[in-house]
Amino acid sequence: MASVEIRNIYKSFGPVEVIHGIDVEIADKELVVLVGPSGCGKSTLLRMIAGLEDITAGEISIGDTVVNRVAAKDRNIAMVFQSYALYPHMTVYRNMSFGLRMRKIPKDEQDRRIKWAAEVLELTDYLKRYPRQLSGGQRQRVAMGRALVREPIAFLFDEPLSNLDAQLRVQMRTEIRELHQRLQTTMIYVTHDQVEAMTLADRIVVMRDGYIEQIGAPERVYDRPANTFVAGFIGSPQMNMLPGKLGPDGTIALEGGVTVRHAESLEAQSGRSVLYGIRPEDLQLVGEGEGFELGIDVVETTGREIELFGNLGSRRICVLLQARASVRPGDTVWISPAPERAHIFDAESGVRFDANGQA
Amino acid sequence: MTAVRARRFDGGTWLSEAPVDLWTLARWTGTAAVVLFFIFPMIFMLMVSFKTQPDIASGGFIPEEWFWQNYPDAWNSVAVGTYLRNSIVAAALGALVTLVIAVPATHAIVRYRVGGKFLPAFILATYVAPPIVALFPLFFLLRSIGLVNSLFGMALVYGVMNLPVAFWLLSSFVRRLPEELEDAARIDGAGYGSVLFRITIPLLMPGIISTGIICLILAYNEFLLASFLTRSESTQTLPVGLSLYQGDRQLRYGQMSVASLIGIVPVYLLAMFFQRWLIRGLTAGSSR
Repeated sequence: MASVEIRNIYKSFGPVEVIHGIDVEIADKELVVLVGPSGCGKSTLLRMIAGLEDITAGEISIGDTVVNRVAAKDRNIAMVFQSYALYPHMTVYRNMSFGLRMRKIPKDEQDRRIKWAAEVLELTDYLKRYPRQLSGGQRQRVAMGRALVREPIAFLFDEPLSNLDAQLRVQMRTEIRELHQRLQTTMIYVTHDQVEAMTLADRIVVMRDGYIEQIGAPERVYDRPANTFVAGFIGSPQMNMLPGKLGPDGTIALEGGVTVRHAESLEAQSGRSVLYGIRPEDLQLVGEGEGFELGIDVVETTGREIELFGNLGSRRICVLLQARASVRPGDTVWISPAPERAHIFDAESGVRFDANGQA
Repeated sequence: MTAVRARRFDGGTWLSEAPVDLWTLARWTGTAAVVLFFIFPMIFMLMVSFKTQPDIASGGFIPEEWFWQNYPDAWNSVAVGTYLRNSIVAAALGALVTLVIAVPATHAIVRYRVGGKFLPAFILATYVAPPIVALFPLFFLLRSIGLVNSLFGMALVYGVMNLPVAFWLLSSFVRRLPEELEDAARIDGAGYGSVLFRITIPLLMPGIISTGIICLILAYNEFLLASFLTRSESTQTLPVGLSLYQGDRQLRYGQMSVASLIGIVPVYLLAMFFQRWLIRGLTAGSSR
């Protein structure tokens, strides 16, 4: 059990700096997800925590120990890789016992832990098989098992589910969450999949280009994204982002001649160019003459919900309906945004206006 | 390659598939021609081994009369058995020395970029130089450690001589090993040695075997250095031994052919036995 502290971390590969001084504090027993587009530095950060990459500058502590100069083998953490990285020349049992043998855990204790992990992960019948004789999902479980038996002070996951098919991915996601609740061990999880991040995390760290864009609980990040990048990255379908100008009386005049209301107190900023963000599910169908008009050209249905697409001025708008509606391409609908659900960002910096009206 | 053609059952009678088509015929003729081209020297040598000295001088291909005496004579006039043994010992030990150095070295150079870009280039550069330039330095070095005219000395020379080849062959095998396996082992608590011996080497085994065989064959066939660095029957290798069929007045081609054929056998057996590994070694890195 351990907290992980990342203080002012920099990483360069040769002359290229890929992480530019970031701070994250991960509490003991917390499940933190690092999420961001590929190349944002999340895997590099994880590998630095694991001890697989040198730290260019800054400090990483696990528990109370600064581990900058501690070798990976001595950090007592476990890691699950995207490729699973199972040892192909060892059986499932030997794969799981490898870390225990390296740490000279007594034989009967090894056996006890492996049987337990195999039970938890439903691998008992496969212990004598080789990785090549297993399906993708089973391999993934072995990789998890190898980490579990170690009883480490923290688990690191590097996109462990991205090689699985969609159904299995959802199932494993739940299992990882359950595992975390059962083990109560610190977990750091890297993914580019924002749904995975939202469903798994106690807290999300959104990264881009080697910087942290926002840290917070999933609901917080979803409900109050710190900037336009986070707003666009978290949530699917994406948040609608419409340029406009702040009016004096809680209104925004959008491009395309539409005026919408918002609930922030931004009177002092009147006249300023902003980006008005509204999530697709926060737009509702209303009666003719209310809200504003939208010509629909694409209708997509998932069975559970319906997505309508149309253009407002030059911007594409998506409306997400939970209820069935008989809207067809070519129809015109009237939609209204919920004012208290609006997100307002400074047009220039992309930063959210906070409660005090500051960007 | 199998040329078996499916037969199909056609309304009561078995018909064989269409007779060999023109393209297949051309392919087989072409293959046969290439094989013949490479095997011809062997056949020629086999023929010479059954010829008398005058018959050889006359230059025909088939012996005028089959002369079997070359076989016992070859064995009795020169110590073929001893040379063969020396060759095998020097080559096998040499290959072992090569592997013991090259495997960890290649791993370190490829994986941990030891020596940066310079070392790999430098290793290969040494192989470009003609071996004869190393002759005198090697002689004096061996003399200073008392290993001139010894099989151990030769094994050492071969072991070092083939390092660039081994590095070149092994590096493509090392590159194909997923780095994450070693990362996983390090996180599992393995130090450098454990990673090397428990993960890297077992997974490199196909590459190590094929590299070893290629180095063994290279050492087995080596003549120049062996002819200078060994002096006595107890240490001379087969290629050197073959050159001794040159008598005072004449070259005993018939007996030499016999000894050559005997010398070829172990290499060919090895190559046949390990064909799968050899091809992997020679084509490593060409495809994933």
